[in-house]
Amino acid sequence: MLRLITCQHATLLLEKRADGALPKEQRASLWLHLRYCPYCNRYAKQTVLIAEWARAAAASRAHSAATLSEAAKERMRQRLRATG
Amino acid sequence: MTPATPVPALWPDRFGDELYRFALSRVSDADVAEELVQETFLSALDGLTTFRAEASERTWLFVILRRKIIDHYRRQARATQVSLDDLSENGAAEADFFTPENGHWTGPQAPASWLNADAALEQQELHEILQRCQERLSPQQGAVFAMRFVEELSAEEICQELGLSSANYWVIVHRAKLQLRRCLEKHGLGKK
Repeated sequence: MLRLITCQHATLLLEKRADGALPKEQRASLWLHLRYCPYCNRYAKQTVLIAEWARAAAASRAHSAATLSEAAKERMRQRLRATG
Repeated sequence: MTPATPVPALWPDRFGDELYRFALSRVSDADVAEELVQETFLSALDGLTTFRAEASERTWLFVILRRKIIDHYRRQARATQVSLDDLSENGAAEADFFTPENGHWTGPQAPASWLNADAALEQQELHEILQRCQERLSPQQGAVFAMRFVEELSAEEICQELGLSSANYWVIVHRAKLQLRRCLEKHGLGKK
């Protein structure tokens, strides 16, 4: 039986789908919903983009020019000497 | 060449900046990032015997730091745990996005087209907006989002770390995404 689902449910299923296969019935319901709902169609693409950007943004921040202050390094050296 | 035996006293100079940048890319607060690096060094020192000479010292330190970052997210999420009742009342927080009667997008919340999303904004700008939007999530949502989409832990691992049921996990992920999507759209992505 193909069940009609709401946008609220469809967007939740989209998140679950990204994480692994959905059971057959939910997959069919989602497919049908996406056939006629332009908004959830957009959401489907956008939610994937958000995940990609979050990864890319963190990776690019990891290549910033930030450095530890000399004082911070000295504090760390002292702790390491004291503990070591 | 990397010496076979790690020399802890040299760690801050040899690896400090790189570890710090990585930590800062995850937690954005400089003091917290510094603390994570310090904890990483101390844990490494504590676990020197577990270091295997054939591994790289740098990789080993990064593994420890990553664990520290996940611990940090866990504390962040647990300190502000939303009550289970609140989470299971699906309607309440999502009524903002969906009409309670029929579960369809409420007019103003319906996703706009992001057709030119990549072109409209400089990548740097996009990343900054996303970071700001992430910071506006509740601490629990922010932690779950980062664990899932930045650290790429599985749903199962996150539930275990945070003591969440699978149903609650999905509610949190769903709401975090709905809010981020809306925040991004408000800050330039939906513009034609």
